[in-house]
Amino acid sequence: MASNLAIKTQGLTKQYGQALAVNNLDLEIEAGQFYGLLGPNGAGKSTTIHMLTTMTVPTSGEAWIAGQQVSADPVAIRRAVGLVFQDSALDRTMSIDENLQFAAAMYNLPPAEANTRIDELLSVFGLQEKRKQKLVALSGGQRRAVDIARGVLHKPKVLFLDEPTIGLDLPNRRSIWRFVEQLRRNEGMTVFLTTHYLEEAAACDHVDFIQQGQLQQGGKPKELTQNLAAYILEVNTPKPENVIEQLRPLFGLPIQEDEDLSFKIAADDVDFHQLQQTLGESISSMQWRKPNLNDIYLWTFCSPEQGQKK
Amino acid sequence: MSWRPVKAVVGREMSKLFRQRARLISSMVRPMIWLLVIGSGVGSMLQGAEQEGYLTFLVPGILAMTLLFAALLSALTLVYDKEFGVMRMMMIAPIAHYWIVLAKLIAATLTAMVQAILLLILLLLMGLVSVKIALALLLPALLTAVCCAAIGGLIAVWSKSIDNFAVIMNFFIFPVFFLSGALYPVNQLPEYLHYIVAVNPFSYGVDLLKHAVPNVATDFSVMMDISVLVGFSSLAIVLACWQFSRESVHAPLFHRLGKK
Repeated sequence: MASNLAIKTQGLTKQYGQALAVNNLDLEIEAGQFYGLLGPNGAGKSTTIHMLTTMTVPTSGEAWIAGQQVSADPVAIRRAVGLVFQDSALDRTMSIDENLQFAAAMYNLPPAEANTRIDELLSVFGLQEKRKQKLVALSGGQRRAVDIARGVLHKPKVLFLDEPTIGLDLPNRRSIWRFVEQLRRNEGMTVFLTTHYLEEAAACDHVDFIQQGQLQQGGKPKELTQNLAAYILEVNTPKPENVIEQLRPLFGLPIQEDEDLSFKIAADDVDFHQLQQTLGESISSMQWRKPNLNDIYLWTFCSPEQGQKK
Repeated sequence: MSWRPVKAVVGREMSKLFRQRARLISSMVRPMIWLLVIGSGVGSMLQGAEQEGYLTFLVPGILAMTLLFAALLSALTLVYDKEFGVMRMMMIAPIAHYWIVLAKLIAATLTAMVQAILLLILLLLMGLVSVKIALALLLPALLTAVCCAAIGGLIAVWSKSIDNFAVIMNFFIFPVFFLSGALYPVNQLPEYLHYIVAVNPFSYGVDLLKHAVPNVATDFSVMMDISVLVGFSSLAIVLACWQFSRESVHAPLFHRLGKK
């Protein structure tokens, strides 16, 4: 395999009983990339991460991290990767310092080196003052930050973030992303992210969508949104059937959620004001905007051909 | 393989042991209740020298009990750590997973020894053992502690959650303790129970401890005790390591489908 690949998988598959959690996954992620694997709950995102980090053994297929075969030497793989789990892995009864010292020792970092590294990371996260505090005294966002610090103590080549902002409020989510960005800048590590807050993945170099264990379309977020449509038209109407009838010849079928319709519009020269007047009384409101990753997600997983929005 | 991760796991357990002083003190209460309540109660039914003898007889028994509870409960933190997520911190570390079991069992052995030494100091102060006997009890105590940790390790790697705790107490700790000769000489039990005592590895720990106390009747030879303790402990530890290294054991930690 090419040496500049941080992650490569070939036919990676995980089966739990009858259920295929991940089905024949082929991935190639270049070193230094910020990669996002996006999809609904239960799509196979976490299972993929767990196979790549030796926490779960694949049913079939193979994976490589930084050129090393994952199944050949799990211990070496664990040295090369950092993993921030979806649920905290920290001991709530211990302080930040005790938790990080413990994690550092698990990575075989000498105490002096561990200390410097913990200082460095806590200053990135603005938590130096709280170093001796018990974890229970911290906010959810701060605990998450400590979890991330734990994942990068040993300067991994590849950092896996499994839904790092789940359950956090907006300011905390923003600050977590600032930290991740800073870590990426400072240490140049490859970051593999799963999230279902899609707007957070807009900063990724490359995103793939996964559903029921299978890769769907993927690409650069900007190109994906450009390719999807020029505009997204959102209409709220008490008579959705009539509006669909009227607009279908122009824009195709919309995604419908009760009285809300969402059309994708390929042409970039549609006169929306004119359209609004044509529709007149039959609609309550309408707005048009540029597409974003949420639209990619909706049109991938809930497109009219696939049925209604889930 | 470096020792730093192992030391970290052991250190974490030790700092918890000394931090939770209430736990340490309460671990001394149980053997004292046995010694003073049961010892005096049963002892009062005996005559003269026999009465004195029963308290001496109980010394190895309650020491073994302390070792059993301490080592077993400490080994069960393998299950606690799984339940509270901390296990993930160890699982993702670049060490072979069986080292986690080994480190936990070392910690369990040390925890048991700390409590045993505390108890011996108490017994010394109460005049129930001499310094010589206390010292002679240390090595048998260590072998018994390893054996109890190994039993705990076996239970821990096969139990899915701490909900099983009551089950573990009723089905493992109590039978292992009561059917060991810790509280009464084995030859006074009904014959069919002799077989159970004989297959209970803990019995050999109790017996080895009895060998260290003069004038206490024993059931097996010292060689037999040591062979069984070493043999069983080695086998149990290998088995626990093997089971823990199997991926399916941890599936519930990582995947909701794995919980089924």
